[in-house]
Amino acid sequence: MLNYEKIKNDFPLLSKQINDKKIIYFDSSCMSLKPRQVIEAMNEYYFEFPACAGRSSHRLGELVTKKIKGARQAVARFINADEQEIVFTRNTTEGINLLANSLDLRNGDLVLTTDKEHNSNLIPWQVLIKKKGIRHEIVKSNDDSVFNFEKYKELVRGVKLVSMVHTSNLDGATIPAKEIIKIAHENGALVFLDAAQSAPHKKIDVRDLDVDFMAFSGHKMLGPTGTGVFYGKYNLLEKLEPFMVGGDTVEYSTYTDHKMLQSPEKFEAGLQDYAGIIGLGEAIKYLEAIGFDNIREQELKLNRYITEEISKFPKIKIIGPSDSALRSGIISFYIDGTDMHQTTLILDEMSNVMIRSGQHCVHSWFNDRKIKNSARVSLYFYNTMDEAKIFIETFNKIIKIL
Amino acid sequence: MICIIALIVFSILGIFSATHRVLAKEALDCVFRRVTLRPCNTGFNEKIKSQLVARLLNRSVFAARIFNKYFEVFSWAFLILMVASTFWVVKGGYNYYLYGSCNGLNQSGFCAFDPKGENNKVTEINVQCPEVEKKEENVTLDNVDLSSFPTKNIGSKNTVVLIGCYECDYTRKAYPDIQKLVKEQKTNYTFAHYPAKETTNYLSEIGYCVYKEYGERFWQFNDYLFTVDKVAIYGKDYMERILDNFEFDVNKINQCLNNSETVDAVEYQLEQLQKTHLYGTPTVFINGKAFVGPKPYRVYRTEIKKFIIF
Repeated sequence: MLNYEKIKNDFPLLSKQINDKKIIYFDSSCMSLKPRQVIEAMNEYYFEFPACAGRSSHRLGELVTKKIKGARQAVARFINADEQEIVFTRNTTEGINLLANSLDLRNGDLVLTTDKEHNSNLIPWQVLIKKKGIRHEIVKSNDDSVFNFEKYKELVRGVKLVSMVHTSNLDGATIPAKEIIKIAHENGALVFLDAAQSAPHKKIDVRDLDVDFMAFSGHKMLGPTGTGVFYGKYNLLEKLEPFMVGGDTVEYSTYTDHKMLQSPEKFEAGLQDYAGIIGLGEAIKYLEAIGFDNIREQELKLNRYITEEISKFPKIKIIGPSDSALRSGIISFYIDGTDMHQTTLILDEMSNVMIRSGQHCVHSWFNDRKIKNSARVSLYFYNTMDEAKIFIETFNKIIKIL
Repeated sequence: MICIIALIVFSILGIFSATHRVLAKEALDCVFRRVTLRPCNTGFNEKIKSQLVARLLNRSVFAARIFNKYFEVFSWAFLILMVASTFWVVKGGYNYYLYGSCNGLNQSGFCAFDPKGENNKVTEINVQCPEVEKKEENVTLDNVDLSSFPTKNIGSKNTVVLIGCYECDYTRKAYPDIQKLVKEQKTNYTFAHYPAKETTNYLSEIGYCVYKEYGERFWQFNDYLFTVDKVAIYGKDYMERILDNFEFDVNKINQCLNNSETVDAVEYQLEQLQKTHLYGTPTVFINGKAFVGPKPYRVYRTEIKKFIIF
């Protein structure tokens, strides 16, 4: 059971007001709010021990090294991985680029994605098509936006890498990752999961999923901006050639040669965002304390209510499965021929309701269907039914003028 | 279209507020894109539209719906209104600078720069059965003989004629500016006393006689009558002392006053002044152009200098 008084106290923004109205933040898929604990952990680094990790042997350096190790252990525990399998990045996008540029993909190798990929899991492969001559295939979803397993089974043969979004930021639908991975492995393919939208909302066990690579962002799961995680099975990480090298990635160097460190160090070139990583570790602890059951329960409750209410208007079209339970905390909707930017701006202006509009970095999906854009409500555990009611009340007014 | 309006409005507000300065910059970017035939993709239009619709929506769904649907039409209408009102404001400012009234020379009516209409106020004169309608454009010096009125700087390029009355507040207000103008611009200057108030009617004859008997010394006497407390000139009783103070021969002046020629001459002067169709004092003619009411000094000066500052 969620303690809202404590949550409200932990998230400073929830107590703030604009024009004497509280802020209703429904854009957590883009950026989650940060609890006080995360901000304080980062401040502590800057105030108390703002030194280098893994390099300096003085007491402050040792303390930072210990904190970073603690954060890495927290992340490893969070997804049931080993410490050495956790590479800190700036975000999911960097994780995918790390894989795309480090994996030994050659001319003719096939990469398979879904039709709802974020640009971050589309553009890197399009670049490699031009650079290396790899091939790229797309598994189109069913009409009801559910993953098309039959099509997948057809296409997966001979694939080198299956690179798919776990939970779509477009509609909140989650693919059956375990089954997809199993079939991919049976066909000799490696699997990467873009977990940017799933890691903040559901328990992910990389051992159970048997996924080869995975990436997610800190800023969508209560952590600081500029933090992310790339996971890889250790034996696979060892085979990857890091695409960015330099300070702190080598054991030694001469004028003519060098010896790389092992994973994860060899992927973490240059000075890292220590404050951010420490903050990310704190965010994970906070999420674990809240519990994914509680998070899911709250998201489902709010999603169900909002879905029911906006479905009363026939001209509203919800992207993704009609069953709100299959859409995590996301309700993405549009009206044919209407620019949804205006809706979001009016919601903000009238009731401080912050939602996102646009193509949500999934331009390919919108362009393919010739849909201009959508408005997206994305919920998290700190959102309440009262907020959902204010949103609906305001939306009911706006819909009358659209 | 809304970005053009927003640019102007926010630019003005931006002078006082940093927030509006940012909006003005956004609007400028939007306008620049539009004039270079590119779509305004900054979202500025939508932002402004949404803010307006949201405010309307809180009051009336119907009004918000209409405004939202015909936003482009409203934008055009607002733009046209703004251009028109800007034109009128600029024209008003131009008129005010040149004539002391937003509405044009001698035109009354509301003017934001002169809300009380001080620059057009006159002491009205009562002419029974006037020959022509009391209108600004009818005031003229055509066919008016001013030769018998006190005149100085004869032969100057520019001519100033002041028709006023000693007791009238608005003439007294304009008087220092006219003296300054005459002094600085060395204009031909004629003064004519129009007895707009009965208590000082007698001063027409006294002025006539002083000018007739003492010529240039009249001007000092004239200055005094316009600057002394009005009470001091309300009656003839005080006048002998005043004339004495100016070392004028009171007997000589009295003889002049009692002379029937003087009465005829002053009557003739009054007839000439009425031919100007003036309707109030002060009325100032600069090179024949009438300025009715006490105008700011720059108005008189601009008429002489014939150049416009802006």
